[in-house]
Parts: sequence; C-alpha cells; structure tokens
Amino acid sequence: MGQNEPVPSLLLIEDDDAIRTALELSLTRQGHRVATAASGEDGLKLLREQRPDLIVLDVMLPGIDGFEVCRRIRRTDQLPIILLTARSDDIDVVVGLESGADDYVVKPVQGRVLDARIRAVLRRGERESNDAATFGSLVIDRSAMTVTKNGEDLQLTPTELRLLLELSRRPGQALSRQQLLRLVWEHDYLGDSRLVDACVQRLRAKVEDVPSSPTLIRTVRGVGYRLDPPQ
Amino acid sequence: MTQQDPGGTRGWTAARKGVLSRLRFTSLRLRLVLVFGLVALTAAVSASGIAYWLNREAVLTRTQDAVLRDFEQEMQNRASALPEQPTQDELQHTAGQMAGSDQRFSVLLVARNADGKTVYGSSGGLSGFSLRDVPVSLRTAVNKTQKADGADKHPHHLYWQRIVDHDTPYLVAGTRVIGGGPTGYMLKSLEPEAKDLNSLAWSLGIATALALIGSALLAQAAATTVLKPVQRLGAAARRLGEGKLDTRLRVSGTDELADLSRTFNNAAEALEKRVADMAARDEASRRFVADMSHELRTPLTAITAVTEVLEEELEAETGSMDPMIEPAVRLVVSETRRLNDLVENLMEVTRFDAGTARLVLDDVDIADQITACIDARAWLDAVELDAERGIHARLDPRRLDVILANLIGNALKHGGSPVRVSVREEDDSLVIEVQDHGPGIPEDVLPHVFDRFYKASASRPRSEGSGLGLSIALENAHIHGGEITAANSPDSGAVFTLRLPRDSSEPGEQPAGNGDGPGDGTGEDAKGDA
Repeated sequence: MGQNEPVPSLLLIEDDDAIRTALELSLTRQGHRVATAASGEDGLKLLREQRPDLIVLDVMLPGIDGFEVCRRIRRTDQLPIILLTARSDDIDVVVGLESGADDYVVKPVQGRVLDARIRAVLRRGERESNDAATFGSLVIDRSAMTVTKNGEDLQLTPTELRLLLELSRRPGQALSRQQLLRLVWEHDYLGDSRLVDACVQRLRAKVEDVPSSPTLIRTVRGVGYRLDPPQ
Repeated sequence: MTQQDPGGTRGWTAARKGVLSRLRFTSLRLRLVLVFGLVALTAAVSASGIAYWLNREAVLTRTQDAVLRDFEQEMQNRASALPEQPTQDELQHTAGQMAGSDQRFSVLLVARNADGKTVYGSSGGLSGFSLRDVPVSLRTAVNKTQKADGADKHPHHLYWQRIVDHDTPYLVAGTRVIGGGPTGYMLKSLEPEAKDLNSLAWSLGIATALALIGSALLAQAAATTVLKPVQRLGAAARRLGEGKLDTRLRVSGTDELADLSRTFNNAAEALEKRVADMAARDEASRRFVADMSHELRTPLTAITAVTEVLEEELEAETGSMDPMIEPAVRLVVSETRRLNDLVENLMEVTRFDAGTARLVLDDVDIADQITACIDARAWLDAVELDAERGIHARLDPRRLDVILANLIGNALKHGGSPVRVSVREEDDSLVIEVQDHGPGIPEDVLPHVFDRFYKASASRPRSEGSGLGLSIALENAHIHGGEITAANSPDSGAVFTLRLPRDSSEPGEQPAGNGDGPGDGTGEDAKGDA
C-alpha cells in the first residue's frame, strides 16, 4: 500500500454496537475508510449511496440476515463481500459462500487478520498482465480484466475472476484446493477448501454451457480442479 | 402295571438326560412337573389300589359264597343220601350229579367202602379232580374232628382255600358229612373272576397313566402361566438394562405376577424419569456453557479488536506511553488473548459434547501440513521432523493442526526441546508420533492426561494453557475416526501417538461446498483419461 494509493472504502454491517465500534476503530487504524450500518436494510441503503469497494457483513443480523443481504447485493453487484461468522465448521459458512460471499472470518476476529483478508480480496481485481486467452467461446482479457462468452460480457466477482485467471494460466494442469487457496485467497496452509468449491460452483454457473456437466472447469478427484482447453 | 414301572423310569431318565442341557434340574418348570406328577401318582395309585382291593374282595367273596353255598347244599342233598359205606360207582355217580349244579365245580368224594378201603368218586372221572389237588392243610382241617362246645356244636365244618395251579386261581373247599359220611371236596376255577379283576387292574393302570399325563400337562400349563410372565419380566429387565428405558410390561389380572409387573413398570418409570431429569440437567448445563461461551464471544470480539489497537500502540514507539500504563496494557493484551483461547476451547468442547462438530475434509500432504503448523508457531528450531513429502490423506486440515499444535506444544512445555515428530503409514492409517526428551509422564498421571482440566499435581498452579488442549486434541482425533495414545518411551520422555485413517470421509459427510460431487468427478475422470 503505497502512499498515493486510493484509500479503500469499506462498508461494515454489524448489529452489535461494541463490535461495530471496535472494528471500525481497528480498520480505520489499518488505513481504511469505514462506513457502518447496524442492520441489513441500512447497509443496502448505504451501499447504493456510497458505492464502497468492499463489504464486511455479519451473518446474524436483525431483520434480513447476512445471507439475504448477500444474495440481494449479488443480484446487481459483483463487489467483494467478507462474512463475519460465529464458527468455521458450521452450516453458516456453506450457506454464506453459496449466497455469494468471497471469504469469511470467524469471530472473535483479529483486526489484523480481517485487514489481511480485505487487502487480499481487493488485490484480486488488480490487473497484472496484458494478454488474452481463449477457451472455446470463452475469452479472458487479462488487460481489461474482463471475460466474455460468445461476445457477451460476464459479470464475475473479483474472486471468481481471479480463480479463472489462475486456472487459465495453467491450462490442463490440476491445481489442488490448497494451491488455489494460496493463489486466489492468499490464505495460509489452513485455508478452507469449501471456499474453492463454492467459488468453482458459482464460476461454473456463469461460464459453462451446462453447469451440471462442466466441460471447462473439471473436477480432478483427490486433487482439485483444472481448466481444460476445449478439444 | 408293575411291569410298566421300570420301563417308565428308564424312559423318564433318558428324557431327563436329553433335556438336561437346556432344562436345569432346579428349573421351576421341571420342579412343577415333578411335584404335579408325584401328587397325581400318589392320588391315582392309592385310589386305584383301594378300588382294586375292595373290588377284588367283593367279587371273590360273592363268587365264593355262592359256590360254597351250592356245594354245601349238594353235600347235604346228595352226599348225605349215600349209604355209610358206598361203593366206588355210587360215589362216582353222586359226584357227577353234584358237579352238575349251576356253579360248574368239580367234585371229589372220599369214603370207605364196605371192605374198609378208601374209595374215590370224582366228577371228572379218574383223570379229573383228585385228592392230590387238595392241599394237605385243607385235608387235615376237614378231617379234624372238633369238639362240640356251646357255640359250635358241629364236629366238622366247611373249609376252603384259594390255590393257584398253572397260573390259574382255584377255590378248593372240603367238608365232611356229619354223622359219618363221605368227605367231599370241590374245586372251582376262579379264572373268569381273575380275568375280570385283571382287566379292572389294567383299566386302573391306564387311568393312573392318564392321570399322570394329565398332571404333567397341567403342570406344563401352570408352569407356562407362571413362567411366561417371568420370561417377559426377564426380557423387559434385560431391555431396561440395555438402556431402553421406555420398556413397560402389559399388566393383566390381579395376581402376584401382575403385581410384580406393576412394580417393574413403576420402577422403570421412576428410572426413566430420573435419567431424563439427569439428562435434562446435563443438557441444561451444557447448553449453559455453550450459551455462555457464545455470549462471552460478542464482547470478546469487540475487546480483541480494540486490544490490537493498544498493542500496536505499544509496538509503535516505546516511551510514547505512560510507564505506569504500559504494563497494564500489556497485561490486558496478553490476558485477552488467553481469554480468547479459553473461550474458543470451551466452545470447541461444547460442540464435541453436543455432537455438532463437523469435519471439513480436504486432501492434504501431511509433511507440508506439519511443517506449516510448526512454522506458523515458530517452532522450527525446537522440532525435528521425520516425514517424507508425498504422504497424502483426506482429513480436516484445521483439526489436524489443532491436534498437532496441542501435542507438540504440550511436548515443548513439559518435555522440552528437541521434540521429535515422525510420520509413517500403516495399512489404511496414518501414524504420527510426537516424542519429547523430558522426564516422561508419571504412571499415575498417564491415564488422566486427556482429562479436561486435569492437574498433574494439585499444588501446581495452572498458569498456561486452558487445560483443555489434550482433551480437544483427542476429540479431534475421534471425530476423524482416529485415536491418540500416550505412553512413556523406554529411552526417555513421553510419546504421544496419533493414529488417523487415511480417508476420514464417511458417507453423507461430504463437505457441503463440494457441490460438483464425486459422481460427475468420476465421469470427468473417465473422459479425461480417454
């Protein structure tokens, strides 16, 4: 984070006053611009007004819960969402990832961990090379950071785009979930493989002709995933 | 019937030997059958015996009386009519006449003829009834002349005796004509009566046998009515013992067994209620711990976030903080971290207790995982790792990390470095050994190392760790279907051995995010290989 970099703006949706205040304090100190909302409804309103770069979303919210907020955002927006959840191994994580969240952190969350995740998610949208790759009807333009299928622009979240980029960089080569977690999510060795699985599901829904029988992003049993150039 | 008995006894013995294997001699059923049988036998035998005896006497006496009366009559009518010294022919003739009566007895007349010779006259001719057939005692009695006194003024009487000749019972009687006449004997076959009595005996024997069989059946029925409920009770008690506390008996009737069933039901009900109460209390206390740790986490999340701000302030520039405040801040920071760990462990334990802990499986390289675990905690210098890369397993990497961190951390704390970690494969399982070089674990502590909050010595204050580490490690191994054992190495130090299956996935335990599933995965494999 250089000095001239624009300060990322975040929207924190959390109902507990103490946690909201503390996280706002911590994240502000890490150098983010933080807007806060105490409920899902307020959060969605703020999202329309402020256009933040990223949303940190608590799962347990009064009124519409975090999953519903997540689903509503995804209907129109591809901006990154990080979930705040109670436990790493419960159904919340799975439901949250299926609703379109990019990553999650478990409470009690450390500000530094959250900051690292935020920066990792934001980095996924950064451009890094100037070439393009074609997989059948799918064209990945790495300079414009766009993906088109049959000439139509696909709306991908930064995480989905990054996953596709990492897979397309090594066509035909199987990447393990742990490898993908490091490359895309920048997680340490304890990354949650469900992040990869959920993201692959969402990506397939967008890029495959028939998402239930994928021809591009293949599952390799016991290893992970690979992107196949069409024969 | 007397001939039946030995055979019956033998048969019973054989039968008893046959069923002895499953029917104990002391079994209630056998005892009941025996008692019923004995009672029936005694009653039937005594009743039959008395009936037989009375019948026999009645039949024999009636026949005998009729025969003797006839004989006496004939003697008076015909024998008295004979001359004093009859001839052989006269005797023979008279005997024949006498035998012609209704009673069909043979007659033998003995007298002296004129020459003083003894002559015989027999109804059946010379080959028929002879004096040889008459018992000597009877002859003596007949020929004995009694003194006539007041009560008995006859010098001679009619005497009789029952004899058996060639298995045929006979009635023999003899008398003398008073005032000098021939001596007359008669022989009457009692075969018809014997046959009647015999058939009576047979009937009684059969009746006794039937009574015995009936009593045995009755005993069986009685035993069944008693034993069925007892068996049901036994089965119910067994089910209750197996933990099916809702076991109840159907109570029918008002007898003692119904009473017993009612008592059983009451006891089972009380037991069920108590167990339910205890389970509810247990559940409530678990819920309390779970809720409590959950509630603790909300303020802790806020505190943790703020503490970090304080921590950064400490690290930023020394001296910028009041020297009085700095140790206080440090304490808050470190204790918040400890509190975090404790609450996290507590929540983990409640998840295991409630059975809500889930595996998030992934294929991992074990050596990489261990290296990363050691590296993340800055233990690389203190741990010797003996593991080859390329050993893959399907497990929950986070839980493996928790196990390893607890085992290695424990070894470093109590045993001191170097800690040796070795990995090997055994069949379908993965064995990871963590060995330290400390003094080892005292024998009396060894069985309790995995207990929650177990203190090796009461005096030692629990300053570090939550006291849940090894317990959580063990639970994490269990949820994988694995095991951890603790032992002391023969050389020195303690050895913790972690054994995990190579593939911990169970049916229905697929990670929910793995939506593409194994089905289309294999399909793709087939396509990919082609």
